[in-house]
Amino acid sequence: MPVRFDRSEAPGMIRLEGDIDIGCAAELKQALEEALAGGESGPGETRISLATATGMDVTAVELLWAAERAARASGMVLALEGPVPEVLRAALREAGFARFPLADGGSA
Amino acid sequence: MANENEQFRLAFREEARELLGELEWCLLELNQKGSDCELVGRVFRALHTIKGSGAMFGFDALAAFTHKLENAFDAVRQGRLAMTPELVDLTLAALDQIRAMVEEEGGERVPEQCAAILEKVRVLVGAPAERQSGTPAQRPQSEVQGAVRAWTIRFAPGPDLMRNGADPLLLVRELGQMGRLTAEASMEEVPALHDLDPARCYVRWTMRLETAACEDALRDVFIFVEDACALEIEPEREANGQDANGQQNPGTEEGGGSTGGDGGRSPERRLDRGLEEPRKILGRRAGDQEHAGSLRVAAARLDQLVDLVGELVTVQARLSTMAARSDDAEVLAVAEEVERLTTALRENSMTLRMVPIRATFERFRRLVHDLGRDLGKQVELTTEGAETELDKTVIDQLGDPLMHLIRNSMDHGIEMPKARAAAGKRPLATIHLAARHAGGSVLIEVSDDGAGIDRDAVRARAVERGLAAVGGDLTEQEIFSLLFQPGFSTAQQVTDISGRGVGMDVVRQRVEGLRGAIDVTSRRGKGTTVALRLPLTLAIIDGLLVRVGDGSFVLPLGATLECVEITREEIAAAAGKRLAHVRGELVPYIRLRETFAVGTPAPEREQIMIVESETGRCGLVVDQVLGNCQTVIRNLGHLYRHVQGVAGATILGDGTVALILDPQRLVQEAVRAKTRGGRARSPGSTPLSEDGDSESRSAA
Repeated sequence: MPVRFDRSEAPGMIRLEGDIDIGCAAELKQALEEALAGGESGPGETRISLATATGMDVTAVELLWAAERAARASGMVLALEGPVPEVLRAALREAGFARFPLADGGSA
Repeated sequence: MANENEQFRLAFREEARELLGELEWCLLELNQKGSDCELVGRVFRALHTIKGSGAMFGFDALAAFTHKLENAFDAVRQGRLAMTPELVDLTLAALDQIRAMVEEEGGERVPEQCAAILEKVRVLVGAPAERQSGTPAQRPQSEVQGAVRAWTIRFAPGPDLMRNGADPLLLVRELGQMGRLTAEASMEEVPALHDLDPARCYVRWTMRLETAACEDALRDVFIFVEDACALEIEPEREANGQDANGQQNPGTEEGGGSTGGDGGRSPERRLDRGLEEPRKILGRRAGDQEHAGSLRVAAARLDQLVDLVGELVTVQARLSTMAARSDDAEVLAVAEEVERLTTALRENSMTLRMVPIRATFERFRRLVHDLGRDLGKQVELTTEGAETELDKTVIDQLGDPLMHLIRNSMDHGIEMPKARAAAGKRPLATIHLAARHAGGSVLIEVSDDGAGIDRDAVRARAVERGLAAVGGDLTEQEIFSLLFQPGFSTAQQVTDISGRGVGMDVVRQRVEGLRGAIDVTSRRGKGTTVALRLPLTLAIIDGLLVRVGDGSFVLPLGATLECVEITREEIAAAAGKRLAHVRGELVPYIRLRETFAVGTPAPEREQIMIVESETGRCGLVVDQVLGNCQTVIRNLGHLYRHVQGVAGATILGDGTVALILDPQRLVQEAVRAKTRGGRARSPGSTPLSEDGDSESRSAA
């Protein structure tokens, strides 16, 4: 799958597709930083969709976790848009991220 | 290209032979120890390597067969299958098939027995082949045969782990497949988004795993990342210092156990463990480099090199002789320099062919195992001095004689367990293989703690076979040497193991072919030791050139201790006793001019070359010592094979031939002649050696 994630939709919306792994980690970090900086629309709410993601490695988990913390620290919102596929949640639970919101489908 | 492929296949064959040897060793160890995680791991990895390399070089049938066998050991590793003698035997049989496939030209033929072996393995594993690699959900608890233990695993990926292509989540998942896993990921180390290196893993895991797999199997999960992470694996312990399985943790009492007295939980302990890993890795890398610094060379090329050095040594001897005759100082200087270099080159090239005898010894573990099973005898093989080095050409020819000796011990020497118990011995018999350097030779001993040699049975059989006269007076030494006569066998029935009456004869022929000697020691009810004395090398030796009459002879320098003079008067004064006073000690001597029937008159002063023999110090009297010489050993050929006391011949610098003497054999022959003569003539004559009362020795 050539496009790993897509942030071309609405401002503040990041759609992650396929396997989110180290290969696109630098790009994801940049996207998250831009989204949290507010981009053109200024600070606000950033939504992340994992509905079409099929897998993620630990770099993606770390980036989303760090981004959520950064958002909270600056009074912004980083939330999940839509459901997280069960296969992804199960994989995260199995890997020890049971308390991580992504694993139970809650907000990032 | 085709050539290159063939080279790779040859390299694979060599590697596979080594791995098969290691596998055999591990399996036989496992058979003795029952279960040992490290050994099971080694078996698994060796099979894995054979499979991988085999597939790479086109041995597809072999790879497929090995893969299925490997699955069984994966099950053992994970505690799903017990390590039983049955599995050991099956795997040994499978190794024989793998060996056949490795050696086979096309490498594609699947031996018929393979399917039967795999079927038996499948039955042992107790599950259809598809389920062997299944997920934990597919493995019913009934398959788990090992004890389930709880482990605490702390895993902290290093900065480069992700960049090296590893995925920690996959590792955690793999652990999850080994049992019931509870994983807890810690995000404490993850920095703020801005400072976060997106290609690095900051997450740390603490996991609890309930599994029947052993620690090595757990560590194997991390085998490819262990130099890029900090890893702690320890059995989980409860407050009372016992692990969760109720076993006392050695670390609790000793404090020096692998887990540490505090269970590795204190920061200091963790730091120690953290440091321990890189040190281990450094050690391994150093080992790798050592490996990279060595080179595999075909034995034939080394033989060629040694042959060429042999020619060079001969030519150099001629050069030295010619230079000595000329008065040209420059030619002399060059000749001396060439001699120095030739000596260095010879010593160097000879060491290239020296290999430890370990591999030969290890080969017999399988023989002892299989024979023990077939004969219903319990026998363990112990070894000593396996690091002793011998010329490869000697080692290559040593396999058969040793095999015959071991077969003979197993069949005739060692009693059935019941008979052993009745004799007050432990049922488990021992065959001991030992090697050590002794002067210029190597001494290899095959000992057993069996019944010893029944001298009366040997004598009776010898008479029956016409090898000895009825009522003939035979010494114990002579009785033992009958064992090595062609066609001799004391076994009442010809068995598959030995008893064909050819084995021991082959031993004697081979050992003599190697310029070696056999010595038998036996104590009734206690056991038998057969010692083989072999030369270190069959190629080139340092020698002392001596003259007896008109002939030149070479004495191996390694066998010679010192040289003393003896005058005609002293010889006359001894009144035929042939004993010399050497610094207060009486040393018996042999006059070589008598041994070789030299007719020329003896010089006024002769030289006694003192050598160390089995029976103590002994002298060989020669006319004159001419000096040192490097000696290329040439075989005398079949016609002279039975000439006693001569080990070979060599070509001297002036083109003449000199015989190389075998001091051991000369002394043995003299002892034998003396004993025979003494018995026939006067009982009061001085023997060259004293026989022990309860022990007896014989040179065959």
